[in-house]
Amino acid sequence: MRVLKIHPEKCTGCLRCELACSYTQTGTFQPAKSVIRVSPFEGHTSYAPYTCTQCAEGWCMTACPVGAITINAAGAKDVLDDTCVGCKLCTIACPYGTMFYDPDTRKAFKCNLCGGAPACAEACPTAAITYEETATLDWLGDFAHERTARVLVGGRGSAS
Amino acid sequence: MTTATLSAKAATKKTTRGARELPGGYAGQLLRVDLTKKKCWAEPWGPDAMRELLGGVGLGAMILYRETAARGGKGNVAWDHPDNRLILATGPMAGLPAWGSSGLTVVTIGAGTNGPTSTQANGFFGTNLKYSGYDAIVLQGQAKDWVYLYIDDDVVELRDARDLLGQDTWATQDTLGTKLGLSGHMLSVYSIGPAGESLVRFAAIQGDYGHVASKNGCGAVMGKKKLKAVAIVRGGKALRAADPRGLVQAADDIGFDLRTDPSAKSLYEYGTLPGVVNLSRLGALPIKNYTTNVSPVDMSRWEAPKLREGFDHRGHQCSACGMHHCHMSVIRQGEHKGAIVDEPEYEGWSGAGWAIGAMSDIDGVAWLNTELDKACLDVNEFGWICGWVMECQEKGYIGEKQLGFRLGWGDIKGAARLIQMISHRQGFGDVLAEGVKRAAEALGGEAKKCAIYTEKGAAPRGHDHRARWDEMLDTCTSGTGTLESGVPVHPAEVGQPTRINTFDGEAVAKFVAGIRGRRHFEDSLGMCIFTTRTRLENLARALNAATGWDVTVPETVRFGRRTAAILRAVSLRCGLTPDLERPSTRYGSTPVDGPAKGQAVGAQWESMVNTWYREVGYDRKTGKPLPATLKALGLDWLAKELWGKKA
Repeated sequence: MRVLKIHPEKCTGCLRCELACSYTQTGTFQPAKSVIRVSPFEGHTSYAPYTCTQCAEGWCMTACPVGAITINAAGAKDVLDDTCVGCKLCTIACPYGTMFYDPDTRKAFKCNLCGGAPACAEACPTAAITYEETATLDWLGDFAHERTARVLVGGRGSAS
Repeated sequence: MTTATLSAKAATKKTTRGARELPGGYAGQLLRVDLTKKKCWAEPWGPDAMRELLGGVGLGAMILYRETAARGGKGNVAWDHPDNRLILATGPMAGLPAWGSSGLTVVTIGAGTNGPTSTQANGFFGTNLKYSGYDAIVLQGQAKDWVYLYIDDDVVELRDARDLLGQDTWATQDTLGTKLGLSGHMLSVYSIGPAGESLVRFAAIQGDYGHVASKNGCGAVMGKKKLKAVAIVRGGKALRAADPRGLVQAADDIGFDLRTDPSAKSLYEYGTLPGVVNLSRLGALPIKNYTTNVSPVDMSRWEAPKLREGFDHRGHQCSACGMHHCHMSVIRQGEHKGAIVDEPEYEGWSGAGWAIGAMSDIDGVAWLNTELDKACLDVNEFGWICGWVMECQEKGYIGEKQLGFRLGWGDIKGAARLIQMISHRQGFGDVLAEGVKRAAEALGGEAKKCAIYTEKGAAPRGHDHRARWDEMLDTCTSGTGTLESGVPVHPAEVGQPTRINTFDGEAVAKFVAGIRGRRHFEDSLGMCIFTTRTRLENLARALNAATGWDVTVPETVRFGRRTAAILRAVSLRCGLTPDLERPSTRYGSTPVDGPAKGQAVGAQWESMVNTWYREVGYDRKTGKPLPATLKALGLDWLAKELWGKKA
């Protein structure tokens, strides 16, 4: 299956992916409603995006009491708005923090791979997000570990 | 500490009361803050004003004109008067997907010239502000105790900042981030360091680790208002575009131009780093306070790829930007090994390096440049003042006792000591904190003749303008305290030649006047002047897709010239008359060596200025834009106000 592969060392923290995602998902530019989120590492010096890995376990699907989460044509777990009752169980079940709840619509929302043409990958100016046929992995683990370790060692001028 | 909270309800009521639908791209409100009264309120503004003023400097210039006239008489309020406005404005493109679209334009009466200022920075200011629901912040009054402005959507508060006092700008952002529990771009902070607190006349406003609105002492204005910082949480609101697909398409076309057009490609790849070597070939790299234009060191070390690869570096881009411009660097070796610094711009390498004779210690210059950002000093003016002190010491005009220590060419440690003395106004630092012009005038004699400044009180940008007459003319005649026409971008698009003889005063003056207007337009969009290095046609298309307007290329230039005329009116009201539009002795001198050796700008100065006045349609004697010029720009009201019955 094609998945979103994250190349954290290429990310410059411009957050263009969040703009593109929110536009595709909501029709307006509103990064607060983006389902891809860029996190800072090592203080303010490194950034990396993170979104649903479309994990095989599908914790969100398992947890949903009304069967509102299904698999779409792109192979992504997707929330059926008509069925979702906004109970937020999926947001608790997801171990990756990539299920969100929208207080305006009172529904859960998540990455659905834009139905097979992810806007974030298209918008990223440095190809830090690619959409390709590969096994899904923990893209950020090693990167985060390395950057965090450097802060903990605490070189001169390291960000606090 | 008193707080004022804007309720969402109240703000919404105001904006929707009988208003027509807002153009896309706009948040629709200005955030007004009265520091004296400790009040914050949202002021809606409508489609007509948006089309007329756009945002950024267009909006700021009109607010200055309308709100900073001296009460009950002629003239303008001074930079340190409570009625001075500090306008932190973004524009319609901010928060949208065009590259570098988080622009901040600071407009105020600056401490350097005591006249109008327009100076830019980026980072995430514009994005965070727009998603909070505001297009600009307009500050007035003076707080009794130090405060910072906190913005989180509809929660707007003036909070106690006494515990932040004395902290540098990076520490201030660290502290606020920790205190508010927000990291990365979730919080944009623009603040002043010790130099702003001490009202240094070339204090800047620094934000988001390395972005600086640096010109004309805007940081001193913030300091006078006792506003330590503005902290904006990434807002939760939405921005609409009239034609989202058209906007993305225009943004992609702009990106294509930036990546591939020969005039922008090197900026795309290396930001402003190539400037060091390129300008040295023209004699426009300022070396040792304009005393020479011949580099004594191997320039291959200063090539852009080597400057970048000499450090561990990571991209640190502004909102939605694809340029390989802003970077964070980690110093690999030497005294400051491990220090994280903002990769210096060209002007950092020149101001914290070449102008002060530091031409070998690249790591030291990179470190010093960030120290300046942290203290919030303008790197350009620091270069002129530090280089001047070094030359004066060498020549015996400033004694070791007077300064307190020996400061020789290229002494990074000594320069860092000077930063502290200026930032805290210690000893001779108090004289230097007044800026290069006032310090030179205080010393007088031979020392004064060595100093680089304009008679208006501004300092030039980080070049040797004796080899760039266009920028010297622009700096001296500008209504913003810095370049106004700016660097030419696709001049043929506005009917100007692509190449001129840069030492032909007549051609230079016509060119500077001819390209005028574009820069004001760019600085009103909420974008960066590096990501607007594309054809105006593309910018207009992006603006129209965002807003739903039908702005044409001629209209963009007309808008810019209209804004320039309004700033000129404010400038004259501040007492910045045409007799002050000239360079200091050293600034206007003739290079003694290097590529521009013997090119005497002084010999052509008068005729150059005369030509410029004729071309822009301003009155040479009074400096006022002529009635016909104003009317052609649609400024009949200003013609009446400036000329009375003669209009």
